[in-house]
This record gives sequence, structure tokens and C-alpha cells, in this order.
Amino acid sequence: MIACLTLSAFPLRAALAGRPELRGQPVALAPEPGRLPLIGPCTAAAADAGIKPGMRLSEALATCPELRLVEQDPAGSEEQWERILRRLEDAGFAVEPVEAGCAYFETRGVERLAGGLEAALRRALDAVGTGWQPRVGAASRRFAALAAASVAPAGKAIVVDDDDTGLFLEPLPVDLLALSPERRGELSELGIKRLGELARLPGAAVADRLGLDGSEAWRQARGEDEAGVAPRRPPEAVAETLEFPEPVGNELTLGWALAALLDRLLARPERGGRAPRQIALAARLIGGGSWRRTLTLREPTAEAERLRAALGPRLAEVPAPVVSLRLELGELTESAGVQAELIRPRGNRLRERLRDGLRQARAAAGVDAVCTVVEVAPWSRIPESRAILVPRDD
Amino acid sequence: MVAHPREQGDSRSARRLNEPRPARVLEQKGHPVEVNRVPVALVREEWRVADRWWTEAPVQRRYFDVVLETGENAVVFRDELTGRWYRQRA
Repeated sequence: MIACLTLSAFPLRAALAGRPELRGQPVALAPEPGRLPLIGPCTAAAADAGIKPGMRLSEALATCPELRLVEQDPAGSEEQWERILRRLEDAGFAVEPVEAGCAYFETRGVERLAGGLEAALRRALDAVGTGWQPRVGAASRRFAALAAASVAPAGKAIVVDDDDTGLFLEPLPVDLLALSPERRGELSELGIKRLGELARLPGAAVADRLGLDGSEAWRQARGEDEAGVAPRRPPEAVAETLEFPEPVGNELTLGWALAALLDRLLARPERGGRAPRQIALAARLIGGGSWRRTLTLREPTAEAERLRAALGPRLAEVPAPVVSLRLELGELTESAGVQAELIRPRGNRLRERLRDGLRQARAAAGVDAVCTVVEVAPWSRIPESRAILVPRDD
Repeated sequence: MVAHPREQGDSRSARRLNEPRPARVLEQKGHPVEVNRVPVALVREEWRVADRWWTEAPVQRRYFDVVLETGENAVVFRDELTGRWYRQRA
């Protein structure tokens, strides 16, 4: 069976972990600095007061003047999530994290050890801890497991039998499908709100109208998706932290601190000459917030100069003075040599590679080299007025 | 405080997609017979675009969807205000 674990509003729960005084209060996650002023997930008390995630900050404060905002804490959130994943791995599950608050795992290996499927799922829930209000769904298909987790009560697991998958999925909303806003809009225009309504459409018509994404969604809605679980290899924690005597906002000083951290980290004996595939730079900010950037390297390297060149520009993105800077090496190579991959990367890993490739293209050909096509007047009779190219920021 | 990279001055700006490119077109009675030195085998379709006539930059074009002797499809237009020919994906 494939199991899916979800922790709803995880970034907010992680940010509230060290703030017991806010328990039971109307609280929402503050917008990210430099992004649109839209609030993130909110507590039940805030929801009762009419607050909805994604609301404009001004509207939210007008609706509920008592609303308390907590700063996003991506570094803290990632740490907490890593601890949860490690607890699951310690309990015997090989997990595939999708995003903070959602992970998949196979139960087969643990069922015999725990004494059945239900006991294995109980073991997973206990490993996470009741404080996070985990929900688990289990099914023979990945999407059905996610759907089951979405309707499971907090701290409980729901198991969907293979024969009942279609019936179970039928009344659930199509929002569960990982579709782009455009595809979602198309489904809405067609009046399709439930998975059952999508599943009943002819497959060829769905492929014709909604393309590859739509076809995949159609298979998922019918409980016919083929995707399995690709468990991660638990990362070895090789990290160094530098505490500053007073907050530092100067990029030059941060650059020196980064160089010192890199030298210390690369000299660590547990690295054993192996090169990191991924490197994360995190900062604890003045005022209690945090900032974190994870960088997947185009190819693993342990050259301090190359790592500094890759990480240096990120320091310009730090939004506030820094109290402490932390550098983590992630996914160390198996050996000191370089090995080409046999299996094509998929999912998040593929997206990370693509993002890194885009950065590489931008670094090589200039900031305008990678653009997004934005339709501005698709109805125009003048072809060059229909769309523009906008340089990408990511 | 470190400045956000988006606030720092850079030269990034949006640009139009599918801008017309000047083409060398030989015409007979207003119809293209050669595009960039390749003879035209067939004119599949012809249409006119008259737009923005209410502005100071009106658009008046006569488009031709042609098949070249090499088998390639091409769309060319004649700017009726300047008499110049351009190639563009329609």
C-alpha cells in the first residue's frame, strides 16, 4: 500500500511551535517580504472570524482587527519537517517528501514488523506525534492515498480498498488534483467540480481538450495513476553555524562569514572527500524570522571557490540583518568521483535541476536569457501584440 | 539592511514576442513571387489587417500565407503605409 501523510497548514504550525501564548488566538502567517501582501494559512480561531488563506493583508485586518501575524520561518519549518521525516525513517518507513507537510511512503516493508497495515499506519502517526495533528491516507494508488489523507480526521488514518477506489474518489473535489490554475479554470468553466464528473468523461476528449496534464488528472480521478513512491536517501547532516555578536546587514561581512563557514564545512572529517549535490544557506534574522535558500548544484563539487560563487549572490536576497548564518551540505555523493545518473530524475528533483539549468543559462547568456511568455491580448489581429516575453526571476 | 535584488537597478524589461522581421520579397501585381530569394509555389491564403486607425500609429497590412518551392510555409505581409515587406508567424 502507498500511504500519504499530510500536516495541514504546516508552515504556520512550525512558526507557532515556539509561541504557546498564541494558542487559541486568531493568527495567520504574514506575507513573505517582497511578495504580494497576501496572508498565508490561518488558525481555526482566525477562520471563525472570517479570515481565509490568500486574503489581502488589509482586508484580513479589516475583517478581524485582533488578527495576529507571525513571521514566516522557512528555516525553522524545514528543520521541524526534517525532524518529522527522520522520526518516520527511524520507525522503518522509506519516505518521499513532496513539500513541507506532505510525504508519501510504502507500508509493505513495515506491515509484517508492526503486525498489519493498521498497526503500521498507527506507528507512522505515533512517529509524527499527535501535536502536529497528522492525517494519513493509504491506498494502492498514490493519488487515492492523498485523497484519503485529505479527508482523514486529525490523528487518524483512512484506508481505501482497491475495489472501492473509484467510489471513494467520486464525490471529492477536483481541487485535490495537482493542476495549473488555467486547467483548473477550464474544468470550472466546463462545470466539473467533483472527481467523479471528470472520471466519467471520455479519455480521448479530455486529452484533446486539456492536454497531457488533463489526461494524467483524468487517470488519477479514475484511480488509475501508475506513480509509485521514490523514497529519498536520508541526508547526512553536515552543517556549520556562525553566530554574530550583533546583527549584520552588510553584504561584504556576510560574504566573509560565508567564506569562513565554507572553509570549516569542507574541512569536516565526516565529509570524507565527498562532494555535495545540494547546499543550503540559512539565516536567522533580527526580529525572530528566518531566511533560507537551497541550491542544487549543476554538478557535485567540493571546490570552495565554485561554492562561494554559487552562494555569494544569494546573500543579496537576505531581507533583514542577520543574527546567525548557517550552511548545510546536503546529498553528498557516494564517492569522491563523478558518476552519471542511470535513472532520469523526476518530480521535485527534476524541477530543481531545471531551475538550476535556467540559472546557469542566465549566468551564461545574461539576465534576459530566460523569459516567460505572457499573453496580453491573445485576441489581437496584430500578431506581435498578442504576447510579451517577461524575464524570469527564479 | 540589504537591498532586495529586484530593487537594484538592472536592465531587465519585457519585450514583444513574434516581432515582424524585414523580408526580401519580389512581387508581381501586389502578390509575392519570391521570399528571401526562394520562389513562391503557392499562395494559400490572403487577408488584410487594418487596426489602430484611431491612433497615431495605425496598422494597415496585407498578409499572404505562402508555400515556397522548398516546401516551407511562410507568412509575409506588406505594410501598406510604408510599402515594405516583412515575415512573421501569424
